[in-house]
This record gives sequence, C-alpha cells and structure tokens, in this order.
Amino acid sequence: MQQGGGSETEVTWEDQQNINKFGRLNNRLHELHDEIKIAKEANDNLEDASNELILTDEEVVRFQIGEVFAHVPKDEVESRIEQLQEATSQKLEKLEEEKQSVVAQMSELKKILYGKFGESINLEED
Amino acid sequence: MASSSSSSSGATERRGIPGAQFVEDVQTYLTQLGLDVNSALAFLQERLQQYKVVEMKLLAQQRELQAKIPDIEKCLEVVATLQAKKGTGEELIADFEVSEGIYSRASIEETNSVCLWLGANVMLEYSLEEATALLQKNLDNARASLEVLVADLLFLRDQTTITQVTIARVYNWDVHQRRTQQVAATAIAQE
Repeated sequence: MQQGGGSETEVTWEDQQNINKFGRLNNRLHELHDEIKIAKEANDNLEDASNELILTDEEVVRFQIGEVFAHVPKDEVESRIEQLQEATSQKLEKLEEEKQSVVAQMSELKKILYGKFGESINLEED
Repeated sequence: MASSSSSSSGATERRGIPGAQFVEDVQTYLTQLGLDVNSALAFLQERLQQYKVVEMKLLAQQRELQAKIPDIEKCLEVVATLQAKKGTGEELIADFEVSEGIYSRASIEETNSVCLWLGANVMLEYSLEEATALLQKNLDNARASLEVLVADLLFLRDQTTITQVTIARVYNWDVHQRRTQQVAATAIAQE
C-alpha cells in the first residue's frame, strides 16, 4: 500500500477492517490460483490416463497406490479413475466458485475504499 | 473474526503474537506512547519486522503439514487396499522402487497386519484395523493443526496490515504537521 501525500482523511476502525479484509481476500486469491492450477493438472492427467487405458490391450494395469504400483485388473482401474475424475472435477468446480466469490468481494471493497480514500490508497497488484 | 474483542481495537494477542493497536487519532497515539514521530515510526517498523519473522516460521510449518497430509492419505489408501484383498484369497502383486529408477516385483500375500513407521527409527506392527485407526487419527490431528495454523496466519496478516496503515498515517500526519507549521511560520514572518 502506498503512502499518501500528507492528506488528512481519517481512517476509522471500519476502514481498517475493510483494508484487512481486502488483504486477506487478495492472499486467498493467490492461493486459489495455485490450487486451481494443480487441480486442472490432476484432471488432465486423469483424462490422459483414461484415454491410454482405452487404447491398451493389456488385462492387468500397474496402478499407483501409495508409493508402489499394484497390478490391478483393467476394469477396476477404469472405475477407480472414474471415481478420481469425479472427485477432482467437483473440487475444481468448488475452487472456481470460491474464486468468483473472492473476486466479486474484492471489487466491492475496491469501490468502497477508492471511494473514501481515492489516490491515497493503492489496491492494485504490483 | 472470532478473536476480535468487542471494543474497536481488536484482539490484543494470539498465541504469542502481539496484536497491533488500532490508532483512532494519530496525535493522541503519539502522546500516549510518549514518542516523537521518528521514534514511533522506528517502533512500528520494528514490529513489522517481527511480524515478518513469525510469518516465515508459520509458512514453513504450513508447508510441512501440507506435505504430510497427502502422505498419510496415501498410507490409508494402501491399508484399505490390503484390507479389500483379504478374504479374496488373491495376493497383491506390486512393482516397487528398489532404488531410483529401478523397480522390482513383490507379491504380497493375504495379511492381517502391517508395519507402520513411527519415526525415530521405530517401526511397529499393527493389525489392519489398528493401522487404519492410527493413520486416521494422525490425519485428523494434522488437519486440525493446519486449521489452527491458517487462523494464526490470518491474524498475523491483519496485524501486519494494521501496522502498515498506521505507519503510513503517522508519516502523513507528520508531513501535514510540517506543512501547517511552515504556513504558520511564513505568515508570522510576513507580519
């Protein structure tokens, strides 16, 4: 946040709380970006795995459980991958929703804070 | 936030982290502290540094926990797989890493127990049910610790923000004071 040019606008506790909230939301936004990236990658990997599975004609597939690759029949692998895909896409959906909510809240706060402090405050990403 | 008191100045501290006092009026604040502007700014800057140090520490702990949790989940998955194999009479065939890039095949027969690594070069054998219970407990504890840690970090960030804003306000107040004094001085000199 920039220092103003010696302006006399008073900062109330409510303003401070708004500023705090904006800071928290901003941090959460960065975290969400990373989490969404990871979830998307996981989704893509599962998609690739699922496609590979269709192409292979082996009956037994090495499926990673923990640190080892267990020999699992193809059908079971298919259903496991489906389950994982279901879980990952739900997670991704939730993250996207949260991100939209955070962005909306941040732009509300920007309006309020710029409204009161104008040039004395900087809420942009460097 | 749950840790805020009902007065307007927020929580005074949380788990060893000092709370930042919210300043209603800069003049009153400086008089109350009994410091001139530069000393006040120095004090606030030092506070900011302290907060930074604590933040680094908490972030490191958070990363540790965030790595530990998926590990425990993986272990639970393995135990669950072994449990599922029980009663089928089949053995579990798995390829495992002997050394980096080198894998070997293992055949794991039906078993009622697993060994869990407890740390400090100690490994104990548990029944599958006991192992699941222990791992689940560890997972729950790790998740709970992470929650507390995240709340600590939120509190810390708020205190940091309050301190940064206070520094800006004290600085601005000082600039404003100097300006008004200069105007007054010029006015007197002109008489």
